[in-house]
Formats: sequence, C-alpha cells, structure tokens
Amino acid sequence: MSVRERGRRALERLVAASAVERALISLASLVLAVAIGTVIILVAGRMTTCDAAAFVLTHPTSVGVPGLFRVGIPELFRMGFCHDPVTVFDRLFLGALADPLSPGWDPLDGQIAVTLRETTVLVFTGLSVALAFRAGIFNIGTQGQMVVGALATALVVLWVAPLVSGVVGAVLLVPFGLLVGAAFGGFYGAIPGALKAYADANEVITTIMLNFIATGVVLFLVSEVFKDPASQANQTVPLPDDALFPPVLFGGRFGFSVLALVFALAAVLALAYLLSRTSFGYDIRTSGVQPQAAEYGGVDARRTIVASMTLSGALGGLAGAVYVLMILGNFETGVPAYGFDGITVAILAGNNPLGVPFAALLFGVLKSGTTVVQFATDVPPQLVGVLRGLIILFVAMPEFFRMLGRRVVPPERGRPTEPGTAATDGGRFRGDDARSADGEQVRGGGGDAVDGPGRDPGGGRE
Amino acid sequence: MSTLERVRRRGADLDLGRRGQAAVASGVAFAAFTALGLLFPGTIAGTLVDVIFSAGTLSSALRLSVPIVLAALGGIFAEKSGVINIGLEGLLIISAFGAIYATDLTGNLWVGFGAGVVASTLLAALFAVVCIEFRADQIIAGLAVWLIALGLAPFASQVIYGAPNTTSVRTPPSAADVVLGLPVVGDVLRVLVSAATGFGAAVVTVATGLRNATGGVPLAGLLVEAVVTVAGAVHYVVVVVLVGALVEANVVVYLTFLMVALSWYGLYRTQFGRWVRASGENPRALDTAGVDVSRVRYAAVLLSGVLSGMGGSALSLTLGQFTGNGPTMVNGKGFIAIVAYLFGNYNPVGAFLSTLLFAGLDALQIVLQLRDVGVPNQLIRVTPFVMVIVVLALVGRTRIPSAAGEHYESGEE
Amino acid sequence: MSQPAVELREITKRFPGVVANDEVDLTVERGSVHALLGENGAGKTTLMNVLYGLYEPTDGTVVVDGRERGFDSPRDAIDAGVGMIHQHFMLVDPMTVTENITLGNEPRRFGGLAVDRERARREVVELSERYGFDVDPDARIEDVSVGVQQRVEILKALYRGADVLVLDEPTAVLTPQEVEDLFAVLAELTDQGKTVVFITHKLGEAMTAADRITVLRDGRNVGSVAADETTREELAELMVGREVLLDVERPATDFGDEVLDVAGLTVTDERGVRAVDDLSLSVREGEIFGVAGVDGNGQRELVEAITGLVRPDDGTIRLEGADLTDRSRRERIEAGMSYVPEDRQEQGLVMAFALVENAILGSQHAPPFARDGRLDWDRAGEHADSVVSEYDVRPPDARTEAGDLSGGNQQKFVVGRELERDPTLLVAAHPTRGVDVGSIEFIHERLLELRAQGVGILLVSSKLAEVQALSDRLAVIYEGEFVDVVDPADTTEEELGLLMAGERPDTTGDPGTDTAERGATEPPEESTGETGTADGSGGGGE
Repeated sequence: MSVRERGRRALERLVAASAVERALISLASLVLAVAIGTVIILVAGRMTTCDAAAFVLTHPTSVGVPGLFRVGIPELFRMGFCHDPVTVFDRLFLGALADPLSPGWDPLDGQIAVTLRETTVLVFTGLSVALAFRAGIFNIGTQGQMVVGALATALVVLWVAPLVSGVVGAVLLVPFGLLVGAAFGGFYGAIPGALKAYADANEVITTIMLNFIATGVVLFLVSEVFKDPASQANQTVPLPDDALFPPVLFGGRFGFSVLALVFALAAVLALAYLLSRTSFGYDIRTSGVQPQAAEYGGVDARRTIVASMTLSGALGGLAGAVYVLMILGNFETGVPAYGFDGITVAILAGNNPLGVPFAALLFGVLKSGTTVVQFATDVPPQLVGVLRGLIILFVAMPEFFRMLGRRVVPPERGRPTEPGTAATDGGRFRGDDARSADGEQVRGGGGDAVDGPGRDPGGGRE
Repeated sequence: MSTLERVRRRGADLDLGRRGQAAVASGVAFAAFTALGLLFPGTIAGTLVDVIFSAGTLSSALRLSVPIVLAALGGIFAEKSGVINIGLEGLLIISAFGAIYATDLTGNLWVGFGAGVVASTLLAALFAVVCIEFRADQIIAGLAVWLIALGLAPFASQVIYGAPNTTSVRTPPSAADVVLGLPVVGDVLRVLVSAATGFGAAVVTVATGLRNATGGVPLAGLLVEAVVTVAGAVHYVVVVVLVGALVEANVVVYLTFLMVALSWYGLYRTQFGRWVRASGENPRALDTAGVDVSRVRYAAVLLSGVLSGMGGSALSLTLGQFTGNGPTMVNGKGFIAIVAYLFGNYNPVGAFLSTLLFAGLDALQIVLQLRDVGVPNQLIRVTPFVMVIVVLALVGRTRIPSAAGEHYESGEE
Repeated sequence: MSQPAVELREITKRFPGVVANDEVDLTVERGSVHALLGENGAGKTTLMNVLYGLYEPTDGTVVVDGRERGFDSPRDAIDAGVGMIHQHFMLVDPMTVTENITLGNEPRRFGGLAVDRERARREVVELSERYGFDVDPDARIEDVSVGVQQRVEILKALYRGADVLVLDEPTAVLTPQEVEDLFAVLAELTDQGKTVVFITHKLGEAMTAADRITVLRDGRNVGSVAADETTREELAELMVGREVLLDVERPATDFGDEVLDVAGLTVTDERGVRAVDDLSLSVREGEIFGVAGVDGNGQRELVEAITGLVRPDDGTIRLEGADLTDRSRRERIEAGMSYVPEDRQEQGLVMAFALVENAILGSQHAPPFARDGRLDWDRAGEHADSVVSEYDVRPPDARTEAGDLSGGNQQKFVVGRELERDPTLLVAAHPTRGVDVGSIEFIHERLLELRAQGVGILLVSSKLAEVQALSDRLAVIYEGEFVDVVDPADTTEEELGLLMAGERPDTTGDPGTDTAERGATEPPEESTGETGTADGSGGGGE
C-alpha cells in the first residue's frame, strides 16, 4: 500500500468511525424520545375525556400453548386511555410517508411531497447551523436570516419580474431569487459575526435578539409598506409563476419541486467538500475546535468568524428563498420555525453536512406527520415540539449512551476511555502540562507510554 | 490598611467596572434628554419624558422586571457554579403554565405559585442530571430544556383547556391591598402616606404662594421660582411616582426585591455562595479543599430552577392566564435575563438594575404603543431587543467564570 | 528519635500498562525538610498523590503519625494533617487571600448561615504572622505575585491544621530570590515543628534546602541520604543511574546575512504589565541565538511578538530585511518563519485532529499542500508519515489523533513539522521539553543541521545546559530585558545563574543595557568550533 493511499484511508476511517457512533446515538435518541413521547401521550390520554378508550392497557387473560393447554388469569387491572400511542406514532412516521408498508403505496403521493418539501427547507437551515457550529459559533439566528432572505427574495423578484418574461424569466428568475435570498441572509448573518469578532458580543444572545428584530421589522414592512392591498393577511402580492420553482413529478398544489431538493443536496455535497478538502474549510474547522491552534496556524480568527457567519447566514437566506419560491409563492408573515428546527437537524447530524439530509428527512417527516396526526387523532400537534426537545436533549448527552454501551459491552482494549485516567504525574490536571516550567509533566526517558492522552477535555470550547 | 482602601474593597463586590462607567454615561445622556423634553413639551422628547416619569411606567417596569430579574438571579447561581443555564426561558415557560394550572385546580394562588416553582425545579433537575452526570454540552442541553418546555406547556394546555391559552384565574393582590388591610399597620401606613402626600402638596402650595407674593422682586423672585420648581419636582418624583408605583405594585414585586437582597447575601456572604463561586472559577481548588463540586453544582442549578420558577409563576399569575401561542407569553424573557446578568456582571444587584433598564424600555414601549408618537408600533416593539444588542456590543466580553461550561470530573476514575 | 511523621511502606501504584511506583519505602522524620529527588517521570508526584489520597495505591501502606491510614480522598489526608501544595496552584483567582485560605473551612456565624468574615480575616492574619509570612489578607489572588500565591497555598494547608506539608516542584515557577524566600519559610516551618516534603528534580535545591534526600528512579527508591553527607556526584548518579551528559558537536560556521532583526520591541501582556521592554536582537544565517532565563520573564511574549501571535506596542521586526511588524501571522509563516511553540497542547497541535491533519497546520494555504484553495491530502499524508518516522513519533501511525499521543510524542511531532518546513528562521521555544533522551539528542542534531544549512535559529529554553551548549550567542532575559548577551563558551553556569537573577554584569559607570544591546545586535562574524554539553536528562538546568 502506497503512502498516499494510507493517508487517505486513514482519514476515511477516522470520519467513518465517528459517523457510525453519531448515527447510533441519534437513532437511540429518537427511540428514547418516542418512548417518553408514548408516556406523555398516555398521560394526556388519561387527562382528556372521551366516549371510548382508544387504547387499553391490561395484561393477557390466559396463557398456554394453542391446542395443548390454556390457563386463565383473572383480570387484575385494566386502564383505558383516550389516545393510542401506536396510532399516533404510526400516523406520525408512516402517515408522513403515505403508508409505505401498505400495498397501494404511491411514491408520488401528496403527503410525500409535503414531507420532502419540509425536508428541502430543513436541509438548508440545518446546513446553516451546522456550518456555524463547525466554526465554533452557535448560530441560533438562522430563523432571522431565513426571514430576511425570504422577504428580500420576494420583494426583489417582484421588482425585477416585470423586466424579464417568458422562458428567459423562468430560467433566470429562480437562480436570481436564490442569489438575492443568500445575499440578504448572508448580510444578516454577518452582523452577529462582526459583533462577535470585533466587539466580543456573545453570538447566542445577539442572534436570538436579531431573530426578534427580524420578525418585528418584517412585520412592519409587510403590514405597512409592501402589503397586498387585496388581502386581509400580512402578505405581499403573489410572485409571477415564471419566478417560482416549477413543480416536477408532484402536483403543483403541494408546494414541492424536485429541483429544489436536488439543489439542496448539491449544497450538502458542496459544503462537505468545502469543509474537508479546502483550505478555507480547514481554517473553519480548526477555529471551531481549537481557536488558539488556529491562530498559531495563521488563521485570521476574526475574518474566519465573519466569513463563516456570512456563509451560514447565506444558507439561512437560501432556506428563505426556497420557502418563498417553492412553498409560498409570495411572502407572508409568520414564517414557521424552520430555523430552530435547523438547530435540531444540525445537532442530530453531528454537524456533519453529509448527515444533514437524513436528519432533515426525519424532521420533515415529523413536521409533515404532525398534520396527519392532527387529522387522525385528537392529540395536540405540540407533541412534536416536545419530541424535538427530547431528541436534542438525548443527542446532547452522548456520554449517557456510552455509559450504557460500556455496561453492555465492556471495553476490551487498554486504551483509556476517559481523559487522564492513565496519566500519572502531569496529565491529571488541566493545563498543568502547559503551565509548569520544566516540571514533572511528561515522562521522558522511555516512559512515554505512561503519559496517557494529554488531551484537554475542554480545549475546544471557549 | 487605610479606611478608604477597605471601603474600596468592600465596594468591590458591588463593583460594576466598565459597566459602571457605561451606566454613568447613559445617565448623563438620559439627564440631557430629560432636560430637552422638559423644555419642549410638545415634541417626541416631551412625550417620552412625560411617559417615563409617570407612576404607570415605573410600576409596569417593575412588574415586567419580575420574571426577568428572578430568572437572572437563577442564571447567576447556575453560571457562577460553572453550569451555563441557557434554558431559563424554558424554566419560565413551564412554571408559568404550572402555576396557572395548579391555581385553577386548587383555587389557591399560593399553591399555584408553589406548583410553578416545583415544575421549574423538576425541569432544572433534569437539566442538572444531564449536564453534571452525563456531561452533556450545557448549551445544547439548555436549548433542549427551552424546546421541551416550549412544546410541553402549550401541549398540556391544549390537552387540559382545549387551546394553547389557559382559562383565567384570580390574580394576586397588590401590596397595598395586603398591607393596608392589616389592622393597625394598615391604618398607620394610610396616615403616613396621606401625610406625605399632604406635606408635599403643602410645600408646593406654600412655595406657590411665595411666588405670587414676591412677584415683583427680581432676584428673590428667581430664587423662589427655583425653590418652587425643585419642590414640585421632588414632590412629584417621591409621592406620585415612587410611592404611587410601590403602593400599586403587586406582592411579587416585593418578593423580587427580597430575592435580589437574599441572592446577593447568599452569593457573597454565605459559605454556600463562596463554594458556588469557587466551583465556577476553579473547581479543582474546591475539590481539594474537600468540598464535593458536583453537589455544589446540583444545588446551584436547582436553585436556578427555584428562582426561575418564582419568576414564571409571578409572570402568569399576575396576568391571570397562561398564553401559549408562538413563543408563549414568556417571549424571550429568559434570554433577556441572561443578557441582564451578563450586563450586571453576575451581581444580583447589577442584574436587577440592568433588568430595570430593559424592562423600563419595554414598559415605555408598551405605553408608547398606546400613544401615537409617529413611529409604528411594530418598530417600537423591537427597541428592547436592539437595546440588548447595543449593550452587548458596548460591554463586550464579560468575565465569565473560568470553568463555566466545562464538565468537572473529580479525582481518579 | 521520635516517631516519623510519615512512613510509606512498599507503595506500588500501577496504571494501565505502567508501574509508576514500585514498592517504594519512604520515611520522613518529624520537623525535617525531606527532598524527593528524581528525573521527570521518576514517579515522585505519583507517590505524593498517593500520600495525599488523590490516588489509591495498588499495594502498600501509608502510615502517618504511627497510625496506618487508608486515604480515600484529599479530605481524609487533610484530616490526618497532611497538606499538599500542587505545582499548579489550587486557588480561585478572583477571590481574596482570606477567602482562598478558608475555602471549605469557613468560620461561620448566624447558626452556620453566614461566613464570619472578621474572624476568618483575624485567623489568617494571626497564622501568617506566626510563621512570618508577609501576605495581605484582603488582596485578590489575581493581583499578587506567584511567590505570594505559593505562600497562600502553604497558609491554606496550615489553616487546615496540616503538620506535614508536601510541595510539588515548588521552585519551578519562582525567581531565584523567591526560591530563597521559600527556603527560609520552609526552615521557619520546621523550626516550629512542621514537617516538609518537597519534590524536585534539581540537585542543588535538594542539597541546599533539605535535611534528608530520597532519590527515585523509574518508580523505585534508589537511595535515601542525609544532605550533609552526600555529594552532587553521588546524587546525580543515583538519579540517572548512568552518565548521561551528551556531547554536542557544534562545528564552526560562517554566519551569513541578518535573518531576523528586532529593534526596540515592547510588549504589554493581558494584565497590562510590560512583559518585553524595549528589547533588540538579531539572528544571522547559520546562527543559533539562545535566550536563557527563569520562566515568565517575557520569553513567551517576545517569541509571540516575533511570530505574530501578539501585537507589540512598539518596535520593529524584520525578516531578511522586510518589515514584518504589521504583518499577520500567516504572512510571517509564508515568509519562512517556523515556530515551535511553548504550548503544544493549546497552540501547536489541534488535539481533535489526526496527525495527518496536524501535519499541515500553518501550511494549509500554501503549496505543496494547497493549490487554489484545495487541499492535497495525499501530500499531507506523505508528509505526516515522514515526520512520524523520522522523529520517532509513537505510535507510528499518522491517523492517530494528536490528543491520543503522549506529551513527549506530541512535542516530537510539532518539532518535526516545524523543522521540516524548510524555514528561513526557526523560532523554537523549549523544543526538547518533555522529550526522551534519544529524541533530545536527535532534535539537537537536527537543530545543528539546520544551522549548518544557514537557517537562523532563535532558541528559547529554560534548560540552561541546552542553550549553553547549542547557542552561538546567549542572551539572558530578566523582566523583559536582556541583562547581558554572552558567549556561552566563556561563561560559567554560576555567572549565568547570577544573570538570570537579574544581576547585571560588572560595569563601572556604564549601564549594562548598552552592552547587552550591542551584544544582541552585533554578533561576531563567525563562531569557533567547540564542544558543549547538554544535560540529556532534561533536568540539569539550575
């Protein structure tokens, strides 16, 4: 095996290993969230009143082997619930996919269009949050960036549309609209980036505030300045059909275009390439995990912060543009919380762009399934919000699953699983190594193995 | 050591540093603005000053402060101990709902208040376990707490009341009702208040009389004029604004005052407070001193649950209803609380003062929406958020506790 | 003779794959100062952590005051009267001296609710007066010097009623003057009946301050001697077990043009202190310019200002004549500046990255690893593999995450990467810190090879023997200024020791600064070949 090949394989294996663990943790989180969701549904089912129980919890009244013997058991308890968790989750997951397990499954069903439509937007918001995360920035402002991008797209396209028409318009207007959304979203993302880089303002807070501001200002603009006079709602006049994503395969009334999904997947690949195979991506990742090392390596910390926030905002703006050009066909206030769901998507995907489509599909299903659940049962749709929070909570504690895993499968190798367990003299205390003058920190004289990992558990976060 | 030195050091606990200077600067700007408003009553500045110096604005500022201050106090304890609790918003939401639900069930306001506190504390306990036991990323776990509450409270409301908004319940009494209703104390207070009012009015009357009497004398006239103005202003501020706002204030406002004082005392004067601060700055130092860092952190996070719970309960109970649409009635107050304590440099008193600033803006904003000042309401509504960003940009980096956000593993294995 | 204060019997401590302490016996007499002497990694700190209850011994017993103890936690050790002063102080920076000393044992009032601050302060004042400590009880830790912080740590242990004080490498962070003060304090403590154990790898200190010396080597007790009955030679042999002084062949070279020219450099650190004060120096092609000094005298700031990590307040930095003062870190790297940082875990390596990825840190924008903004991972892999094999990085696998390597191997990888960058100027801060003997030798050879190739090298090290052996000119830094610039071949260790303590060379009338400035910027035209010695054990510099 050549040296080159070894280098590449090394990298691939490294990524693969952590990706598998990530996927397992995400799956386990989903299962746990569903389990707790079941309990919540049951409790809610006890608190509501209904004519007939949708779900009855009891135990078998007889045991035995068919044809041989049977033993009857007296009924000890029997509890009825107004909601049946099985139905709820069946509708939520399978309903969103138009019942793929039933014989007459139509892959072009409207419900699938809705699911994919939500997925498409979530891919963009998920990428937006994931990118910022990789640069060590917590962009909670994707929502605001999306709202700004959406309104800008609608207004600029409305303004430009009369100038071009026909086939030219159809070919030019959609890309143009996307560009506008990206530009405005990028600008709105650059603000907290610059505030963080140059004024040291905490981006978590500023982006949350900018969300409120975006919502407020957009509400003002749409209700007072750009309102469609013919409408009661706070919305702009409709965009011409030429300027919208053309529906392909699925009917136009579902607001989904395969083209947009393809575009989203292209963005996923582009971002994955950017992060792993370009100098700029290397800068971003380095500043994300260890800012001091990045600075040592010649990365301009401030410029990287602003650049990655701009790019992150641009992705949020793209989500807004797609939302306008594919789903709405104009701009209307009250944009759904795609941006916040983007945080969930990114966390679930482990901030890996390649994981984002899968996480986005899951949340697309949850969003689309919510309406199916609402149609089929009386369970309040806010349940999905709770599930979202629970999934994030579990994904946030990988250690929980690792502990579980260790209990089931004890680690076979001698490699320490916790930082510092094998360290003797110096590795114990964080920063000792760095700060001591010429002390005991490292074992020289052939005792290297004693050191154990000198990794600083908190090193990446500041 | 000189007395001056000691005073300086004593004051250090209250020191607001760069924020102090920023506060002085904004104070000066504010005074200039006020003067402008007084000189030209017809302008926007005039209207603003009029609004700012009304008992209504102050009392609604105090009322709006309550949940923010209480959540901020909770946030201080958690973060000082090394656990960044970004889920304050969620704690406020869950307690706001819990308080209304329990009040509706039992008909007792205090039981409702307690239930809100319990709900918030339970959620905080979950957060604590996740962060301390399972080493979750504190920021993500905090977000999860927010999202869970954001889903759970409207969900429960929908299940129980059939809508995201609950039914209305009785609201807690104002302090005046409580105190004035007491047998002797109430009477004494009533007399005192009317005496103060009467005295102020008398001073103004006398001064006005003097003014009329000395109308012709140039220098004396000017002097008397000055006295009249000052007396009038003092009377106005003390009696109308302060007494008015405080008497009108709900009991939860007084609870908040109490909690600010207790938190300050707890943090800087008790053993627990010292341990909390050490746990966030250098947990290893605390550990080697024989104190269990995890227990200190658990206690601090639970305390943040209790305090935020008081805030959430107070928020919904004073309005008599929980509204769960969109971002719910909490609407970012938990996040503003975080900014408030950052701006207040983790000092309970500082957090209280900076909250008053934000809540004052919010109150102003509400009043201004009712009056037509030529600026659209939607824009006025975003002013507090803009203010937060401006403040953050000016204050810049706050000295966060060194070990905040980091998991701490004690000893060996 | 009275009962010993501490007795460790056959202590064995194993870590996965390693025996850190192997049946160590140690007896410490009451009222004495006992030095625990040994090389880095000999197991000294592990042994003391066992005594302090931080580690549970795999085998053996701890006897304090004649009673057998099994300490589960530091708390138990404290209760038994054992206090430990760690190398890295366990102090809370924003709190006051009093608050730190009483932390965890605060006197209380109001039924245990509030801290009795008056009493706490009074007790601290009494305590520090009793032992002749000069400490302001109300000062904040972040405002006082390292020497005072150490005294606060000692007071903290005393406040808890410690009779036995264990100090881990107490002199590592102190100036020579502070070291003297510390030894005076230790003497005062033992006069009043306390027992002191201190860990050191410095022979001289053990001989000066201790009554009795126990030497550890490879986790074993190899001898216990009275300080006044032994010699340096005997101790040295006990410590290392063999002759370890390595010969460094430093052939004569012709110096070329000036590579680095620093003039009037002034740097203020985060605390607002002038860390580097109007300092000038120059390095020529093929020259090693050494900087010696006690850690914390501005070395770090000097190096970071030159390499572009901190912005100087004043002064100019030229590389091959080009003014780099206002250039970014990246521009400096691209101009041919290599830099081995002091802090490999925070700066030199990205802990979460594989070595392949770390191999291009600093070169991620330049050929051969990057073209048009795209990275060539194959090239990076080759490069990583060559550094790993040449510098004997273990495990020899470039896909290992940097954080999973031991400290010494991390250091070897950083040194390898920076030395193989084909630099014009190499700035190396403590390049052999924590590295095993064989690798030290190799790194020294490589440095001299670079020198022979005409690379200018600025070498900062706290190992006096190392800088003395390798440097063509040697500057001694003290409080941000060069006290003197000397020819290392003509200067004894004693003379250097005085310079490091800030004592200017004998000058009549003419202030030393001028000499230093002249020496730093005007090097001799060529060096004379010579053989120096570097102490390969990594612990000889005193």
